[in-house]
Amino acid sequence: MQASGAPLIEARNLAKAFGRTQALADVSCSIASGERLVVIGPSGSGKSTLIRCLNGLVKPDAGKITFDGDTIELSSEAHWRRLRQRVGMVFQDYTLFPHLTAIENIGLAPVRAGLMSKSEAELEARRLLERVQLAEKATSYPAFLSGGQQQRVAIARALAMRPQVLLFDEPTSALDPEMIKEVLDLMVSLARDGMTMVVVTHEMGFARAVADRVLFMEAGRIVEAGPPDQIFSNQNDSRTREFVRRIA
Amino acid sequence: MALLLENLGFFLSGLEFTVRLALLTLVCAIVVSVLIGLMSVSQWRGLRVAALCYVEFWRDIPLLVNLLFIYFGAPLVGVPLKPFAAALLSLTLWGGANGAEIVRGGINAIGRHQFVSATALGLKRWEIYRYVVLPQALMPILPPMTGLCTTLVQATSLASLVGVNEFFRITQIVVERTTMQSGHSPAFLVYGFALMVYFAICSALTRLSRYLEQRLQKTGTSAIAAPRGFKESA
Repeated sequence: MQASGAPLIEARNLAKAFGRTQALADVSCSIASGERLVVIGPSGSGKSTLIRCLNGLVKPDAGKITFDGDTIELSSEAHWRRLRQRVGMVFQDYTLFPHLTAIENIGLAPVRAGLMSKSEAELEARRLLERVQLAEKATSYPAFLSGGQQQRVAIARALAMRPQVLLFDEPTSALDPEMIKEVLDLMVSLARDGMTMVVVTHEMGFARAVADRVLFMEAGRIVEAGPPDQIFSNQNDSRTREFVRRIA
Repeated sequence: MALLLENLGFFLSGLEFTVRLALLTLVCAIVVSVLIGLMSVSQWRGLRVAALCYVEFWRDIPLLVNLLFIYFGAPLVGVPLKPFAAALLSLTLWGGANGAEIVRGGINAIGRHQFVSATALGLKRWEIYRYVVLPQALMPILPPMTGLCTTLVQATSLASLVGVNEFFRITQIVVERTTMQSGHSPAFLVYGFALMVYFAICSALTRLSRYLEQRLQKTGTSAIAAPRGFKESA
């Protein structure tokens, strides 16, 4: 186990092309245990690609990724699968399993991974639903939940695996405005509990409030990285300044 | 009418063959459909190609030709087949090919996002199919699969051509015999009766299918499940 402060995840010189588009070109970053990293940038900047490299949903063409000191064999799906039990992910479109209730959605993966028995999983699922303030929806199917509720169940589902890191890929971008707050509040509360998080988002208020560090990406590269104050108020790079001004 | 009652025992013996052939065919064809259907979405190219070849071959030839081909061809490769077995085999191969396409279509109807989402949770590939994709695929698969099953039940009548004394053959015999004995043909009555029997069997199938569809509906999902509020990701 690494002492906190040392990188939990370290990515070096990642490159990824999709056809003729270079989605990532020599990107390096590291995430320390307990850190909250927010990634911002325009469409096509590579933010989603980067975050998906961190749990192997996208396999980089080049580069090196280490998790807790162990180098990951980038092309080994089996290696990534074991890793995904420690790296959770929440998607923009929440994608709950529509044929399962909230409780069943949450309990499926931990039981299959051998983390807990079915009865333990049910208890844990109920506990997590309480945590995300949806205890009364335990036996509801996703089709009967609002977008914000579905996303909160999706977060509970990711938490059930007891991950060391949670990755968020634009978690509120597909939500109606009145539901964004409930999800962001949950994320703030998770951050306060010490969860290591990497969040791709357009929600600048959230980034300012929660981030330890912000990365600004454009065209597959990290343009600037630093604490929120720097990125939002005192930029080193003009491109960063321009982007922040546009979205302010 | 009296004619029908006189030959009731005869009809029932034929019906027994028909029902046996139909049930065995449905079971075997469904098994083959699922197997080949899963092969056609496999991560291994060899399996996908094999499945494609199987489907293309058995789907593109008429069932009747298929049946005769198997019945007369089997002894030539050293496997003598009784008529019932030949009929079962050819219906299974043909039904399995069509069913495999239905299964494949159903699996593909379940969006890729479901697969990605399940992968991110650390589920293994077979677990994703078993717990996430296939249960959802049942909805889009069920209606066309029921159609295929009713077609297969009706196609058992083709077995008469290779000598199986199934229900249709029996009705034919009754018509011919009665025509020769009494001079007039009871064709309309007897074939009308046959029509009603096949209708009864097939409509029982479709009713079962509708019941299953309703049971699957309770989750509130439509055949193509799409999450609400989904937008293209950046």
